Amino acid sequence: MPNNISAGDTAWLLASAALVMLMTPALGFFYGGLVRRKNVLATIMHSFFILCLISVQWVLWGYTLAFGPDHGGIIGGLDWLALRGVGQDPGPYAPTVPHEAYMVFQMMFAVITPALITGAFAERKRFKAFVIFTLLWATFVYDPIAHWVWGGGWLGQLGALDFAGGTVVHITSGVSALVAALVLGRRVGYGREALEPHDATMTVLGASLLWFGWFGFNAGSAISAGGLAANAFVVTNTAAAMAALTWMTVSWLHKGAPSVLGAAAGAVAGLVAITPASGYVDVSASILIGLGAGVFCYTAIQLTKRLKVDDALDVFGVHGIGGAWGALATGIFATVAINSGAKDGLIYGNPGQLGIQAIAVAASIIYSAVMTFVILKLIDVFVGLRVPESEEVLGLDASQHREAAYQI
Amino acid sequence: MEILAFVSFAVLVVAWLVAPSRGNVAVVSHAEDRKAA
Repeated sequence: MPNNISAGDTAWLLASAALVMLMTPALGFFYGGLVRRKNVLATIMHSFFILCLISVQWVLWGYTLAFGPDHGGIIGGLDWLALRGVGQDPGPYAPTVPHEAYMVFQMMFAVITPALITGAFAERKRFKAFVIFTLLWATFVYDPIAHWVWGGGWLGQLGALDFAGGTVVHITSGVSALVAALVLGRRVGYGREALEPHDATMTVLGASLLWFGWFGFNAGSAISAGGLAANAFVVTNTAAAMAALTWMTVSWLHKGAPSVLGAAAGAVAGLVAITPASGYVDVSASILIGLGAGVFCYTAIQLTKRLKVDDALDVFGVHGIGGAWGALATGIFATVAINSGAKDGLIYGNPGQLGIQAIAVAASIIYSAVMTFVILKLIDVFVGLRVPESEEVLGLDASQHREAAYQI
Repeated sequence: MEILAFVSFAVLVVAWLVAPSRGNVAVVSHAEDRKAA
């Protein structure tokens, strides 16, 4: 083992990669509980299949596009195709861990991001269309934006702060989810019949496992087992808790009862919002970020429903709005007292950082929206996006997979 | 900023005190009807 590799950092990073891996099947359960029982297998399959698909895509070409040697600030080169040259020695991004460990940690981010989008087109998307969409989206949306922010690209050069993926993961998936919901159209029966969650307990379990895995997502992004990881861990937990409390309270005042599903969704919104900020803010800021996530995401979802956009599992409201709020909040609350390698935000006398964060948010929104629209339209022409109405009524478990989730 | 953090948490606590606590009236009355029967 080369001398500069830290056993502690490597152990924490590999454990964090495993924690983040767990988030994708956890997301499957979170989403699976929210759909009707005739679609639960198909919904869980979205996440499980993506775990497999992107695991292979990432080692073959995804990692090199995102993190390979920079080409004009836009995309990584093909130098590390099929992980050629990515081995046990440290790479350029993390001097104290094997390059392979860094690569596999990043792989898990690439896996969960397209899985987040699946909540928007749940209960009506053709499986073949989903497969092609995921492969194209990962290659042409996720990999370039990951390069822009983390791989030496133009947003990173500009000074945009994104500790664990507010722009790269959550804005891209949230905005793409909104575009997918608009392009696919509403589910059969939307607005006429109750499209109720079939198992709220499954959703709460999924949210809890997401919360658990998120410690790897954020604290692991320190890429070291030290104080920065500890701070990220603490602010992550605090923001999740505060957002869950806030969402539950707002829904209680708005609809007359403290919603269990609301508390679960609120926790996820808080986790999303603290993601870009977790390596730059203190615990007081994390309380305010959690508060904002609860209010803004809840409000956005009410607005989406009022506009009759069938974002089936509220991906845009939670991830798009939560990610944008978190990215902007980073520009407000960031402090070098937490991370000496970063910059101060607005309240510490550096208003320019908020402007840079706004540019990163806008670039992520515009690029992911346009590319997602183009990809979906192409697939619609050649494959068809939606299942026929008769198959949608029958349910995707039977029509797409010829299986049933429950025999009781 | 610490003050804002305390205030925001205090606002939630106050909201819990004033929030409705009657539950779902329709479901409750249905259950009471069944118990009476």
